[in-house]
Amino acid sequence: MTADVATRETSAPAARRVPTPLRALLWVVLVAAAYLLPAVLGGSDRIYATVVLVAIFAIMSYGVDVVLSYLGEVSLGHTLFWAAGAYTTAILAVRSGWSPIPALLASIVVTLLLALLLGLATLRTREFVFSLVTYAAAIIGLTVVQNTQALGGSDGVVGVPLLELPAVGGTYVARTNAELWPIALVCLVLVVLLVSRFRRSRLGTTALMAQMNGELSTAMGVDVRRTRMLVFVLSAPITALAGWLYAYQRSYVSPDLLSPTFLLFMLTAVILPGRRLLLGPLVGAALLTAQQQLFSLGGDADKIVLGGVLAVVLLASPTGLVGIWHALVRRVRGSRR
Amino acid sequence: MILAALVNGLALGAGYALLAVGWTVLLGAARLVNFAHGQLYMLGAFVTWFVISRFGWPYGVAVPVALVVVGVLGVVLQLLMTRMTLEQNIVNLMLVTLAFGYLLQGGAALLFGGDPQTIDSPLQQQDLALGAARITGQDVLIVVLALAFYAVTFVVLGRTDLGRMVRGVAEDPKLAQLYGIDAARVYLAVFVFSAVCAALAGAVVGPRSPILTSMGFEEVIITFLVVVLAGVGNLVGGLVVAIGLGLFTAFFGTFFPPAYSTAAAFVVLLVVLVVRPQGLGARR
Repeated sequence: MTADVATRETSAPAARRVPTPLRALLWVVLVAAAYLLPAVLGGSDRIYATVVLVAIFAIMSYGVDVVLSYLGEVSLGHTLFWAAGAYTTAILAVRSGWSPIPALLASIVVTLLLALLLGLATLRTREFVFSLVTYAAAIIGLTVVQNTQALGGSDGVVGVPLLELPAVGGTYVARTNAELWPIALVCLVLVVLLVSRFRRSRLGTTALMAQMNGELSTAMGVDVRRTRMLVFVLSAPITALAGWLYAYQRSYVSPDLLSPTFLLFMLTAVILPGRRLLLGPLVGAALLTAQQQLFSLGGDADKIVLGGVLAVVLLASPTGLVGIWHALVRRVRGSRR
Repeated sequence: MILAALVNGLALGAGYALLAVGWTVLLGAARLVNFAHGQLYMLGAFVTWFVISRFGWPYGVAVPVALVVVGVLGVVLQLLMTRMTLEQNIVNLMLVTLAFGYLLQGGAALLFGGDPQTIDSPLQQQDLALGAARITGQDVLIVVLALAFYAVTFVVLGRTDLGRMVRGVAEDPKLAQLYGIDAARVYLAVFVFSAVCAALAGAVVGPRSPILTSMGFEEVIITFLVVVLAGVGNLVGGLVVAIGLGLFTAFFGTFFPPAYSTAAAFVVLLVVLVVRPQGLGARR
C-alpha cells in the first residue's frame, strides 16, 4: 500500500521506463545546462543575480515543500528558519569572524533547536493550531528581532564578508554573483537530491500515508505524531541553508527576512506549479523571482501579484499549473474523439 | 500607575474581544481559519479614516460606512471560497485567506499610501480623570461595544433559530443540509459577521493610536491567542481571555519593553499548549 502510493506519486510512468544510468546522465545534462544558462542569457550581473536568487529561494521553498506536500500540514513558521540561518551566519561571521562552513553548521544547529521547540509545543494540537502557532512564532519573531539590539534591531547586521570556501590549492572566493552561482547551484542540486531521497524513504512514504489517511496509518502502526515531528524538524535546516547563502549573497541581514513576503513566496512557489512535484518548488521560485527581479511593478504591486497568484491558483486550480495542464490534455483528447 | 495600566488593559482587552468574537463564531461554525482577519481590521480603520479625511464626514457616519464596505468585501471573499468551505478543505482555506490578507495589504498600501494616519474621533478628546488614570470616551465606547457584541452573539447563537442553524452546520454540515439548512448561506452570514466585527474593532480601536496599512499581522495573532487559549468555539471563555490578555499586555508594558508583550503572551500560549492542548476553557 505504501510502496504503491509512493511510486505512483514520485515517478511519472514515462520516467519509470528510462533505465537508471540514462536517467543519471539526463540529470547531469540538466545540471550542466542550468550551470551554463546565465552565460547563454548574456551573462550580465543582473542575470547572474537572478539565477543565484532563484537557487536560494528554491532551496528556501523546498523546506516548506517537504512539510506541505508530503505531510499535508501548513507550516507558516519557515521564515523563522530562513531568518535563523541568515542571522546566525551573519552574526557569527561579522562579530566573531567565523568562516562559512562552521557558520553553516551553527545555523543548522540553531534551526534544529527552534524546530524542535515549535514541534514539541504543537505535538498534541489539532490540525490548524499547528499553522496558527507557527505563524505566530514567525510574526512575533519579527517584532522581537526588530526590537532586540543584540540582533541588530531594525537595522539588522551589515557587512557580512565574502563567501570563502576551501578549494584545491587555496580558497575559492565568491566576489560576484557569477562567482556565487556555482556554489548556489551545488547547494540546490544537493537539496533536490535530498528531497528526492526523502520521497523514496520510509519517512517520506509514511508521511504521505499519514496525510492521505491518518486513521489507516495509525491502524498500520505508524506513529503519526512522531512522523509529523520528524518531517518538520528535518525540513528546517533545508530552509536554513538558503538563509546561509542569502546572508552572503546580500552581505547583510535585516528583520524583513521574517516578513510575510518570504512566507507567501515559499507557499506560492510550492503551490503554483503543483504540490508533490520534485522540481515544483524550483519552477515556482524561478517564475516568482523572474517576475520580481526582471518585471517588477514596485513593492506594493508585487505584493498584489504574489497574493493574487496564490489566491487565483488555489481558487481556480488547487493542483496548480500541472492540474491546468492535465485538464487541457483531457479536453484536447476528449474533443478529438 | 497600576490604575492607569488597569484602565488601559481593560480598553485593550475589550478591543481584543471585539476582534475575536467574529473569529470565534467563524472557526466554530465553518472551521474556517481566516488569516485575513487582521487585514479586515486594518481596512475597518483605514476606510473610516479615508471617509473622514476625504469627505469630511463625522466619525459617527464614517464607522458605519466602513462596516458596509468591509461587509461587502466579506461577501465577495466568502463567495469566492464557498466551494472550499463546503468541502471543508482546511489547508487550502488557510492558504487562500493568507493570500487574501497579503493582497488586501498590498492593495491598501497602494490606495491609502504608506504613511501613518490618525483617525479623528471626538470621543478620543473627551476624557475623565480617575486618579492618575485617564479614561477617554473612546475607551468607554470600546468596552460597551465589546460587551454588547458578546451578549448579542451569545443570545443569538444560544436562543434563536438562526443560532440553531449555525450550530447545526457547525456540528455536521451534511446532516444540516438534509434538514433543509443552506450551509453555504450560513457560512456566508457567519463570514460577513466576522468581517464586520473585525472592521468595527479597527474603526473603534484605530483612533487610540496612529494606523498603518502594514498593521493587521499582530492583530490576527492576538485573535488566535484569544481563541486557542479559550478553547475553540468557547464564546464566554473568549471574552474572559481577551480581557485577561489586555490586562497582561498593559501590565507587562509598564514593567518591561512593550514590544515584547505579545511575545510574552505567546510563551504563555506555548506552555498552555503543552499542558492543556485543548485550551484553558475546554471541558475535556
